[in-house]
Amino acid sequence: MHPRHPLPHYRIHLIAATLVGTVVWWAFPQDISSWRSASIITGWIGCGLLLSSLFLMIREPWLATWLGGLEPMYLWHHRFGVGAYLALLVHPLALAADAWSESATLAWGALSPWQEDWPVWLGWASLLCMMAGLVVSLAPRVPYATWRKLHHLLTVSVIFGGAHLVVLGLDWPLVWAPLLAIFLLLWRILRADYGWAAKPYAVTHTQRLGTDMVEVSLRPLAKPVTGQPGQFALVAFLRGPHFQGCGEYHPYTISAIHSNGALSLGIKALGDCTRHLQSIETGVSARIQGPFGTFLEKPPTGPSLWVAGGIGITPFLAVLRNGALAQQVHLLYLHRNESDAAYADELSGLATRQPLLHLVMVDCANCLPDLQALLPAASELLRPECYLCGPDGLVNAAVTVLRERGVGLERIHFERFDFR
Amino acid sequence: MMRRLVFLSTAVFWLVVLVLAFTTGNDGEPVRTDRPAVNADKLVTMAEVAHHASSEDCWMVIDARVYNLTAYLPDHPSKPSIILPWCGREASEAYKTKTKGRPHSEQADQALTHYAIGRVE
Repeated sequence: MHPRHPLPHYRIHLIAATLVGTVVWWAFPQDISSWRSASIITGWIGCGLLLSSLFLMIREPWLATWLGGLEPMYLWHHRFGVGAYLALLVHPLALAADAWSESATLAWGALSPWQEDWPVWLGWASLLCMMAGLVVSLAPRVPYATWRKLHHLLTVSVIFGGAHLVVLGLDWPLVWAPLLAIFLLLWRILRADYGWAAKPYAVTHTQRLGTDMVEVSLRPLAKPVTGQPGQFALVAFLRGPHFQGCGEYHPYTISAIHSNGALSLGIKALGDCTRHLQSIETGVSARIQGPFGTFLEKPPTGPSLWVAGGIGITPFLAVLRNGALAQQVHLLYLHRNESDAAYADELSGLATRQPLLHLVMVDCANCLPDLQALLPAASELLRPECYLCGPDGLVNAAVTVLRERGVGLERIHFERFDFR
Repeated sequence: MMRRLVFLSTAVFWLVVLVLAFTTGNDGEPVRTDRPAVNADKLVTMAEVAHHASSEDCWMVIDARVYNLTAYLPDHPSKPSIILPWCGREASEAYKTKTKGRPHSEQADQALTHYAIGRVE
């Protein structure tokens, strides 16, 4: 999504600068050699960046709103994590460089687990877990289930890193660093992964939309989440009379919001969990966290262009289902074939009833969509806000064409759902 | 971009560690050249040791040997409050029981010899 609100990104940077600056300021060494100082400073820079990365893992709707959405939070979670890793790689090497001036034996002694004890062992354990966790996280085409398990190596790394600091001995102002890390980890694990922040729902209706798509409607069993059209929720499907969901929280776009707090979600089979969900039945219990996202947050005050690819139609459908359009909308809906064209009939009906909606549906079964021909000419793109939702390839291609036709980035809006 | 950065930095890290590990095999005993030679057999009383009990002037007794650790204090890995209380005192037990009963490493023993200044009377 293009940052429509630059302020929240400053908030992310400010939080990181505060955390890194505070620990480095408190731990800043005096009267010791430059390499040893470098080792201590890089260690604490890594610690501060790790704390920032952990903070951005928290999935609370109020925090996501304050920081501009989950997407920038995940982006900076990754960047701070990698930054911490780079600093923590330098940390032991600078320690060895300090001893190198006296002898190579002492330099190796500063690193060698065989010649040291708990502080160094814990430091190595933390660094190796971080190394393995990051390499796996960044490796292309790792199946989600494997990725999810191995990503926990990074959690273990944080725990070992905190223990490394404690065993070395911390003065009181710095003790809060490992304590804060554990607090943030527990916050994430308990509130998000174990679902303490989630609201209970039950599946009331399911409808097949295509070969690999289903729409699931759920009613709240307690206080409902209060979503807006265009937002998404993190949902875990649990147990039903004859169905056992995978229990993992995945993001699904809200396709309809009903007055009684009930929600509908469009679910496409993109992995093992969502493929299993294609056979979901009524009565299955679910837990929902959210809502998240700022896509289509504010109704456009002028004409807009909507480009949807496949299941990317759901946020637009939610807006159309929510009531009559107040401004002109050109909706370009690209799908692979007729059996994959979710909501095609309903959209046709909406286009008939809503005179401000201009709908173009394109079947791209065995072709790449010719966006040069499908997107409006430059003269028609002088005013519209452009909203894109679909596979990365389609979104990237559409952005390129729109930019070529003079649409500024501030008028192009999209969200990606890659929350690994 | 991030993937390339992580893979490249990891490779460089292991290269440096491996070079260091292999270089050590050809390296002799570490030689400290920044401290003047002293008579490590000089006899010192515990009363004399007790006069050197600050971070600016720190002597310790470990296994009947007297060490002037003033220059080493900034390099000690733990926080100062762990080592400073032992300045001017007999510290053998503390030296042998760091981190829940574990003694210091051989590397530490080796480094310690360079700070010896005498024996306790």
